[in-house]
Amino acid sequence: MIENARSLNIAASVILLAGMLYILGPLYLTLATASQSYEFLLRNGLAWYPGDQFFNNAARIFTETRIPIQMLNSLAVAFSLAIATCILSFLSAYAIVYFRIRWAGVAFALILATIMLPVDIRVITTYQVASNVFSPVNALLDVTGLNGLIAKAFGAPVQLELSVLNTHFGLIAPLVAHGTGTFLFRQFFLTLPKDLFKAARMDGAGPVRFMFDILLPLSRTSFAALFVLTFLSGWIQYLWPLVASSTPDMQTAVVGLARLLPDSDGEVPDFPMIMAGAVIVSLVPLLMIALLQRYLVQGLVLSEK
Amino acid sequence: MTSESTLFSNRWLPVLLVAPFMLLIVLFFYVPIFQAFYWSFFLEQPFGGGSMFVGLDNFARVLSDREFWQAGGRTLVFMVTASSLAVLIPLILAVAADRKIRLSLPARNVLVWPKGVAGASIGVVFAFVFNPFVGILAPLNKAFPGIWAPGIDGTDAFITLIAAHVWSGIPFNFVILLAGLQSIPRTMQQAAAMDGAGPWRRIFDVQLPLIMPQLFLTLVLEFTESVTSAFALIDTITHGGPGGATTLLVYKIYKDGFSGYDLSGAATQTAILMVFVILLTAAQFVFLGRRINYER
Repeated sequence: MIENARSLNIAASVILLAGMLYILGPLYLTLATASQSYEFLLRNGLAWYPGDQFFNNAARIFTETRIPIQMLNSLAVAFSLAIATCILSFLSAYAIVYFRIRWAGVAFALILATIMLPVDIRVITTYQVASNVFSPVNALLDVTGLNGLIAKAFGAPVQLELSVLNTHFGLIAPLVAHGTGTFLFRQFFLTLPKDLFKAARMDGAGPVRFMFDILLPLSRTSFAALFVLTFLSGWIQYLWPLVASSTPDMQTAVVGLARLLPDSDGEVPDFPMIMAGAVIVSLVPLLMIALLQRYLVQGLVLSEK
Repeated sequence: MTSESTLFSNRWLPVLLVAPFMLLIVLFFYVPIFQAFYWSFFLEQPFGGGSMFVGLDNFARVLSDREFWQAGGRTLVFMVTASSLAVLIPLILAVAADRKIRLSLPARNVLVWPKGVAGASIGVVFAFVFNPFVGILAPLNKAFPGIWAPGIDGTDAFITLIAAHVWSGIPFNFVILLAGLQSIPRTMQQAAAMDGAGPWRRIFDVQLPLIMPQLFLTLVLEFTESVTSAFALIDTITHGGPGGATTLLVYKIYKDGFSGYDLSGAATQTAILMVFVILLTAAQFVFLGRRINYER
C-alpha cells in the first residue's frame, strides 16, 4: 500500500460485491428454483430460498429427457476437441518456430486468420462442406477438367460422397480448425532461450528427439492451459452442435437443455426441472474451473499475448 | 548445416507436422468461406437441385430487403452497446480487484465462473429470471401492469440479451485487464504517488494509459464476439422476437438458411457479414492500434 486510501478501498469493495452479486445472483436463483416444485413456482413465482425438491427434479432430468446421453456426447466432444487441438497446435507451432522453412510466415498467417471468423458466422457453408467432405475434391476435379477425362475413360465422372453430419467427428472437426492453440504455443516457444536449442543440437538431438525430450516436458503448463480452455469452449458450443446433429441422441447437453424450453410463450414452463437441467449441464465445466482455475487464467492470458 | 544454427533444416518433416492441421483448416475454414462468396453469385437450389450464375442479383435482392437492413442495424446497436458494456464493467471490476483488499481474492475466483456456463445455458437461466410472470420483475409487473414485457416490448427483450451477454463476457475481459494492471511495475505507482498524484488520479493517468494494449485487444475481440455469440442467447431467450426486434444478422442467416432454405440469400448475407467483420477488425487496427504505445 502506497498510502492510506480508505475511500477508494471502500468503493472498490462495493464494486467487487456488486460484481459478484451480478455473477452469483442468477446462479443462486437457478439453484434455488431447481430445488422447488412446479406447484411452488406457480404459486409463488421465482424461489428466493432453496427447497427440498432438487433430487426429484434432477431424477426427472435423468429419466424423462435425453440429457444423460447428451452429457456423454458433450464429454466426448469437449475431450476430443481439447486433445486434438493440443496435439495439432503443438505440432504446427513446432514446425513454424523451429524449422528453416520459407512458408512459415504464410502458414502462420493462414492459421491465425481462423480466429477472426468463428464457426458461428460461416455456419451455412460449413454445414454444406460437412454434408459432403469430398465436395471440394469433386469441384476440383470438375474445374480442372479431370472429371471429363475420367468420364470418357470409365463412363462416369468421379463423385465422392461422405457426410460427417450427425457424427462425433463432424461435431468436432470444424471446431478444431481454430488458431488460438498454435498462437499460444508459438508465443511460448519464442520465450524459450535459444541456447536450449543449441545445446540440444550439440548433444546430437534431432528434430524428433528435441520435440519429445525437451520441448514436450517444458510445455506441460501450456498444454494444461490450452486443454482447459478448449475443453470449456467445446462444452459450451451451441450453434454448430445444433445444426451438425440431427437426432437427439447425437446432440450435446447444452443443445438438449435449450430444447427443454417450449417455443411458444403460452403457459409457464416447468422451470424447476429446466433449472435442474441447467445445474446438471453446467456442473462439469464449473467443477473444472473450480479445480483448474490456475490453468484457465493462464490460458486466457497466454492466448492474448 | 552448422551447429551454430538455431533452426532445423529438414525439408519434409515440417510439412508433415503442419499438414494434418492445415487440412482441417482448409476443409472447414477456407472452403466454407470461399463457398459463401461463390454462392453469393449463384442461385442455389436446396437439396442439391443445381445452381445458376446470377451475377450480382443476390446482392441486389439482399440489399433491397428491408429486413436485412433492420437486422444489420440491430446488430450494430447490439455490438456497440453490448461490447462497450462488456469491456467497461470488467474494467471497473479489474481496477477494483487490483487493489489489495480482502474481497479481491474471492472476486477473482468468482468472476471467472461464467466461463464454464454456456451461452445457451445462461440464456435459459435469464429467460427464466426475467420471465414477466414468474421472474424477479414479476412483482413489479403486478404493481405496474405491463412495465416489463420482453415478450411484447422489443426494448425489454434487447435489455435482457445485453445483460446476458455482459454476464458471459466478464471472465475473459476481466482476466486480461487484471493481468495488464498487475504487470504495471509498482515503482511507477510509487513514483506517481511521490509526485503527489492521489489514488483516483493514478487510475486515470497511470493505470489506464498503461493497459491500453489490453483494452484495445478486449475491444477488438469483443466486437467480433458480440456479432457472433449472440446467437445462443437469441435462440434461447427471445427467438428473434418480439416482432423481429432481436433478430440480429447471425440469427437471420440461420433462419434463412436452415428454415427458409434460401441458401443463396443466406450465403450472400454471410459474405457481407464476413467482409464487415474483417473490415471492422482491420479498421480497429489502423485507427486504434496505431495510437497505442506498447512500450513500458
